[in-house]
Amino acid sequence: MKNCLFILSLIFALQVSAQKMYSTKSGQVKFNASSPVETIRAVNNQGDSRWLESNGQLVFSVLIKGFKFENQLMEDHFNENYMESSKFPKAEFKGYINDLQRLDLTKAGANEVKAEGTLTIQGVSKKMTVKGTLTVLSSGKIMLKSDLKIKLKDFNISGSYIGSKIAPEATISLYCIYE
Amino acid sequence: MKQKILIGALITILIAIAAVWFFVFYAPTHFKRDVADEKGIQITAASLVKAYQENETNANALYLDKPIEIKGEIAETKTDQAGNTTITLKSEDPFASVFCTLKKAEPSLKVGQTITVKGICTGFLSDVVLKDAIIVP
Repeated sequence: MKNCLFILSLIFALQVSAQKMYSTKSGQVKFNASSPVETIRAVNNQGDSRWLESNGQLVFSVLIKGFKFENQLMEDHFNENYMESSKFPKAEFKGYINDLQRLDLTKAGANEVKAEGTLTIQGVSKKMTVKGTLTVLSSGKIMLKSDLKIKLKDFNISGSYIGSKIAPEATISLYCIYE
Repeated sequence: MKQKILIGALITILIAIAAVWFFVFYAPTHFKRDVADEKGIQITAASLVKAYQENETNANALYLDKPIEIKGEIAETKTDQAGNTTITLKSEDPFASVFCTLKKAEPSLKVGQTITVKGICTGFLSDVVLKDAIIVP
């Protein structure tokens, strides 16, 4: 009986190690919707992200109130008028990194990857494919970088300045070092 | 006499223009919210996490975007990718804690120490998140 339990726990332990999860709570997300007349950009250093080595399942979530602008007034407008961040405090991407198995994550170097999934901003979900670079650093940690462009109106983000002072398309840049 | 009134009026107008410029154009764009000037809601890390786990919508109504003064034990302290100091405060649940990004580095902080942190609550992911936090002595 004892032996049986031991073998069972061993199998369980092996499975856990196969489900290696990479995570960070301080991923960086940059938002840029600058127009020729106005610089509109913000940084959030509190992105929460995890992904599994076995199947490439990835989740990235960020709190809208955590975006910091240089200009307080812009930050207030961003939260109150454009993102309604009290009603929709989070933005999230859930999906899978394609063909993760073909990568050797023990070898240092950069790899182009694609992730397919659903991006949810302001309660609106959209399926999309995001391109990125997964780099194995010499320290063994893994760095993910990605730039994606979104049309603000696709996510019901509206306001009188969009298209004039604010670009109709925003760039979101991710930069994460996972542990 | 007339000249004096004229000069007086001119000075008043100049002051008015300067005041309008300051309050309408300068202050709103240069003012930065500082949690040190605000009175925080006092709570322990354990009860804040519990409040968020029990009902996120209610907890957001109470704490989101508000200055909060949290007492808790340091589980971890780190430097993030941008060079900011972050601290994780323990709750009763080992899978959820309070994650704070500090305004300035605090090299003297140690794991296991009980401290009070004041910051602005931005919501709940796997942890309750605080930004622009400071250590309350």
